Amino acid sequence: MSKLERLMNLLAALLHTSVPMTAEQLRQRIEGYPDAGPSFRRSFERDKDDLRSMGIPIRVETVPGTDPPVEGYRIDPKEYAGSDPQLDPDELAAMHLATNLVRLDGVQGDQALVRVGGLVGDGQGAESVEPLAALPSDTNLGPLFDAVRTKKSVSFTYNAASRTLDPYKLSFLRGHWYLIGFDHMREDERQFRVDRIEGIVEIGGDATTARPDGPQSDRAESWELGDEEPIQARILVDADQAGWAKHYLGRDSVVADHADGSAEFELTVRNREAFRSFVLTFLEHAELLSPPELRNELISWLEELHAGASA
Amino acid sequence: MSRLNASDRVTRLLAVIPWVASQPGVHLDEIAERFGYPRAHLEADLLEAVQFVGVYPFTPDTMIEVSLDDDRVWIHYADWFAKPLRLTSEQAVSLMAAGESVLALSGDENGPLLGGLTKLGAALGVDQGLDIRLGSAPEETLDLLRTAVTDHRVVELDYYTFGRDERTHRSIEPVRFFADEGKWYVSAHCRLADDERVFRVDRIVDATLLDETFEPRGEGGMHVFTARDGDPRVTLEVAADAAWVVQQYPNEGVEELDDGGFRVTLAVAAVPWLERLLVRLGSSASIVEADPAIPVNLVQGTAARVLARYQADQ
Repeated sequence: MSKLERLMNLLAALLHTSVPMTAEQLRQRIEGYPDAGPSFRRSFERDKDDLRSMGIPIRVETVPGTDPPVEGYRIDPKEYAGSDPQLDPDELAAMHLATNLVRLDGVQGDQALVRVGGLVGDGQGAESVEPLAALPSDTNLGPLFDAVRTKKSVSFTYNAASRTLDPYKLSFLRGHWYLIGFDHMREDERQFRVDRIEGIVEIGGDATTARPDGPQSDRAESWELGDEEPIQARILVDADQAGWAKHYLGRDSVVADHADGSAEFELTVRNREAFRSFVLTFLEHAELLSPPELRNELISWLEELHAGASA
Repeated sequence: MSRLNASDRVTRLLAVIPWVASQPGVHLDEIAERFGYPRAHLEADLLEAVQFVGVYPFTPDTMIEVSLDDDRVWIHYADWFAKPLRLTSEQAVSLMAAGESVLALSGDENGPLLGGLTKLGAALGVDQGLDIRLGSAPEETLDLLRTAVTDHRVVELDYYTFGRDERTHRSIEPVRFFADEGKWYVSAHCRLADDERVFRVDRIVDATLLDETFEPRGEGGMHVFTARDGDPRVTLEVAADAAWVVQQYPNEGVEELDDGGFRVTLAVAAVPWLERLLVRLGSSASIVEADPAIPVNLVQGTAARVLARYQADQ
């Protein structure tokens, strides 16, 4: 009796039954388990873990009519099967190529594709199949995607404060995953970096705010992610760095182009500390022009460092 | 594909069984290819395991029937496995993300990728819930570099080396194009350095595609930063609120301190890089040990330079 056969029989039994089955019933009806006792228990727990790690939803329910209540197991066929996207061979081939080009850490693209129709084509495009990118993963990414998909609210801790959000979407931007949605406490749209969420997100009830029409803002800049009163700040960037800055900050933020190639930008700041940090990445090739308040803060910061107060 | 464990086999079988049941008489080779299931394993698993799967009391009418004839397969009575197992959430994200990002790059409007992605999104119940931008760089530079990589053509670059804070002119032989942490890079043989180098596309001030072609010298690395033996080392103490430094940069030893901070040793490929880091961190970081190439009062000097700019026009 192979482990493969035992796992497949366990699955068949759990899918077949409409009432939860106890571990003991499963042991008796499936060949290959040890006799009742701790070694059966270990083996059964391991099998359940294996099935769950494949994404198989095993329900734990009270067996009807038991008193004291006894736990039983079953798989709801509706939760087991996904809805078939019915992909054509050329669509599967295009997805195959895409999964070879862009990966999500910790996920085998091939294993995902076989669940929606299989590996069609050789996964190679006319050009090269060198991977283009591997996106970072996060333990909360899957659950958050489900929450977006099924329009459920989520609760989590962020910067040591609890938040409850109706999530609109997940964005991958500037190398990080962001969650965007309606923040019930702040009563406004907010954006959070997924990798900075502390602990595991909790999925709540149905979301009560609908996703607004049109694109949601992507304020991925660190100085825009904050709860401070927004202020408009203006910076001057020297010619050598201006090209990059225009691309990075977006041309919309350019308020003046000077003859020497330097440029002025206006930005909305909701996190002063992060903004100071950004301005300083230019070293002496940029200058914070206004407002005076921010400019003076930056000058004091530099004066303190210069005096060696921190050394 | 090396050895498959029991879980690998179960996940493949859960996709294979419904497919074969709906394609009676399909060839073993076709199944093997479509499901990434080495043929020898597939055949053995169908005959030695799937044949014996069923439910109590395991009479013939409660078991799966597998028949194999001349390398063709038929599966009957596998009703529990009539539909493939759904995607895990992570797998769903990975498929959607791969599709979305490649679509954004290729811009294929009515092609099969958009078709597939739309169907997949509908099946998962997600519309506009995912937005992927692998990197950000001017479209025309990206196009030019893609052409250069495909056609092995030399590119002349006007490039801003951020780490060294200097602008240079050079010719490169681009061999690979990739995104990492939200930025596009091209890895190339650099004729100026006569060595392999990785360039950040958004730091390219100007690029010209030459007619001259080259013979690729390698596959090109995807290492955005590699410390060289000759790079000076610096040891910093960073406070708990600046712990991101430890995660963000490859380090050569890290030690947690009693107050929640860290002592970390980093390779310094270019001094301006360290200047930036320290001037941003302020009192959250200090140099505890440094190679003689790095002035001990580096941060004071940097602060003075930046400050001069503010004092000049006051």
